[in-house]
Amino acid sequence: MTAMGTPQNNNWAKALMSHLRRDFWSALPAYIGGLVVLFWIVVALTAPLWAPYSPLDMVGARLQPPSADHYFGTDGLGRDVLSRTLYGAAQSLPIAVVVVVVGATVGAVLGAAAGFLGGWTNTIVMRLVDVTLSFPPMLLAMAVAVALGPGLKTAAVAMIIVWWPLYARLMQSQVISVKQMDHVEAAVSSGVRRFRILWRYILPLSWTPILINATMDFGQVVLLAAALSFIGLGAAPPTPEWGQMISEGAVNFYTWWIAAAPGLAILSVVLALNFIGDRVRDVLDPRSTT
Amino acid sequence: MTKFPNPPRLGGALKLALLTTCLAMPFSITAGEAMAESKPLVIARNLAINSLDPSRAACDTCLIYLSAVYETLVRLGEDGRSVLPGLAESWEANGDNTAFTFKLNPKAVFADGSPVEAKDVVWSWDRLANAQGGMSWLLDTIKTVETPDAHTLSIQLTQPDAEFLGKVMGPNAAIINSDVAEANGARSTKDAANTDTAEPWFLENSAGSGPFVLQSYSPNDELRFKRNEKYWGEPALVDEIWMKNTKDSIAQAQMIQNGDTDIAMQIAPDTAKTMETPEIVVEKAPSYNYIYMALSPGAKGNTVPLTKPVRQAIALAVDYKGVIDFTVAGAGRLQASPIPNGFPGADGLPEPTQDLEKAKALLAEAGLKDGIDLKVKFPNQNYYGVDMSMLMQKLQQDMAKANIRLTLEPMTFEVWLDVVKGDGTPLTASYYAPDYYGSGQFVKTFGMIPGTRWAKRSGAERVEGEMNPKEEQLLNQALAAPEAGRDALYKDVAMEMINDRIIVPLVNPDNVLVFSSAVQGVRYSINEFLPLRELSFKK
Repeated sequence: MTAMGTPQNNNWAKALMSHLRRDFWSALPAYIGGLVVLFWIVVALTAPLWAPYSPLDMVGARLQPPSADHYFGTDGLGRDVLSRTLYGAAQSLPIAVVVVVVGATVGAVLGAAAGFLGGWTNTIVMRLVDVTLSFPPMLLAMAVAVALGPGLKTAAVAMIIVWWPLYARLMQSQVISVKQMDHVEAAVSSGVRRFRILWRYILPLSWTPILINATMDFGQVVLLAAALSFIGLGAAPPTPEWGQMISEGAVNFYTWWIAAAPGLAILSVVLALNFIGDRVRDVLDPRSTT
Repeated sequence: MTKFPNPPRLGGALKLALLTTCLAMPFSITAGEAMAESKPLVIARNLAINSLDPSRAACDTCLIYLSAVYETLVRLGEDGRSVLPGLAESWEANGDNTAFTFKLNPKAVFADGSPVEAKDVVWSWDRLANAQGGMSWLLDTIKTVETPDAHTLSIQLTQPDAEFLGKVMGPNAAIINSDVAEANGARSTKDAANTDTAEPWFLENSAGSGPFVLQSYSPNDELRFKRNEKYWGEPALVDEIWMKNTKDSIAQAQMIQNGDTDIAMQIAPDTAKTMETPEIVVEKAPSYNYIYMALSPGAKGNTVPLTKPVRQAIALAVDYKGVIDFTVAGAGRLQASPIPNGFPGADGLPEPTQDLEKAKALLAEAGLKDGIDLKVKFPNQNYYGVDMSMLMQKLQQDMAKANIRLTLEPMTFEVWLDVVKGDGTPLTASYYAPDYYGSGQFVKTFGMIPGTRWAKRSGAERVEGEMNPKEEQLLNQALAAPEAGRDALYKDVAMEMINDRIIVPLVNPDNVLVFSSAVQGVRYSINEFLPLRELSFKK
């Protein structure tokens, strides 16, 4: 908490860039991660240009192993696995962005309100956080997805419900900590308006942990979305979603290629996001640097 | 002269140990051989047991269990049609199938050695009806049962029922040792649903007269059988059978390849195809289970009226042979009507075919030239090796060629059940497994007769002109008919159900049995599923 007031955190973007320039080799995994994520973003936006076939059409005999015609083989319905994997990026990546952005925003706003206002607001928000966090995340996501009905949108809602409390708790503790700093007390005694104190004196020193967590969470959300689709609570068929493709591959275990391509896609994205998240944490949170 | 060093001296204790080991070796080999002979036969399957109480059990594993541990008055022959003696050594029916007489075999005894008597039969059947389990309807045509002596039963029915023997063969109609069961809380009286407390007892004990007894049951883990040493007929060929709960196809495949199981019952056809070796046998046997598509003219979500011509168009858009190839890798058969292959009335029915041009023409005639959009809610499960999600995606592809656009909404079975029992869904799919040998059950489930399951679920009862009174009339005639004319009547009902186009069978998947070549006697049976009494290791 004490590090929050350092100049390094006040100019976080500048600090990040300077750090990355200065320390290229230790930041190399993050660079590679960035390239991988960039690759998948490009793929998600331009899949029709790259994919050799339609992701929904039967374009060959079923369960064909990888060949020159189908680099990652065909699935149980004779669809091209590579094409479905490339199109799958357009399902899995946006859902991760939506869940993390909405979850972090909702959590941060509620956490900041709880920490700054205190009293009943704090009690109500934090008890809600406690209740939500008392459920295992996967179980809660499953329960919400079952209640709302399967589908990518409902899976996203389920994951936001699972994720926001983490950010709310983090933000609340940050705000309470910063609120006790001298410059905030000085602002209060000078008669600065409450909203301005929060906006100008507290939030700038409170939100870096949220950014660090959000970066680290991207990979986890991709995994949870895939897990929900794997158990039939995510994307509806025939949507080419990575988790669902792995689920279809699991039925035909000995035809390994059905699950291999989406599995590698998930592995690369999650690993890349973790590399980036680690680096962002190293730069912005000096407590974790060794 | 060369001097060899003295051999090292062994301590007295070590010498004694070596001597004992050498002397014991021949005996230990004999003991090993004896163990090999008495080793349990292991079966891997997804147990999914709801109960081990004969009056309440309703699952596929339950059929295997009840047939091995309990016995019925008569049994179904290996040909799937003939009736063989069971606890009854003889039986006869009157001309119109309203009265049946059974003579019990005086040799028949329960596993505790007490004789099987007519009072046990009456008690067991009363309990089946009164405990109100899932199969309590099975013997609902019984009016009275008289027991002139301890080994004779005279049964009067409320209406002609040519399928009565078929129902009596059903594993749920098994005979329980009434004295033992009553002593442990079982009741057969009218209030048995509330007063009977024996269901937990049946999870740990059995009270039957079959070739096996229950050794132990651990839910979601293992079901063990051991040979009934007091069995009155041909004794079981193995001492013990262990049924291990193994949920998915891949785990079962790995178990049999590692030698951890002798039989695997639910390996997906695509996987099974790659498994045949000199040590592993893969056998496909025709089954009587099937997956069907249901079209609901009365569903609240219908955007266009699902009239008979529209339903006909939908049925004609399906590539039936492709469905078999895509869902069960060709290990299945076409099925014409809700009466499955092998049941009375199924022979000679026209096979379903795809005709896209005719489908489009029918839609155009109905004023739907641009095609139709249908929301499809279905249970996202795997039934008898058919992955429902894969099946529905195949239908989606097929129907798109006839401008029938499906939007798929998979859901859990429980949610799906609420949907079909409530507002309904225009198009869905489900499965059916026969409860006994007889075609009446299919008409009573799928016929457009007031009160049947799919007359309600399809909403046909609410739509004018969708009910089919002829089916009820033909069913009643078939139930009263002598055996010679029965098949023809059921065939007529089957044709009526085909023309209804409410229920469209999609695939009749084969049973894929994968087993060690050291095992013999593995076969599929309608009632017993896998007759355990016939299993043994090759000598």
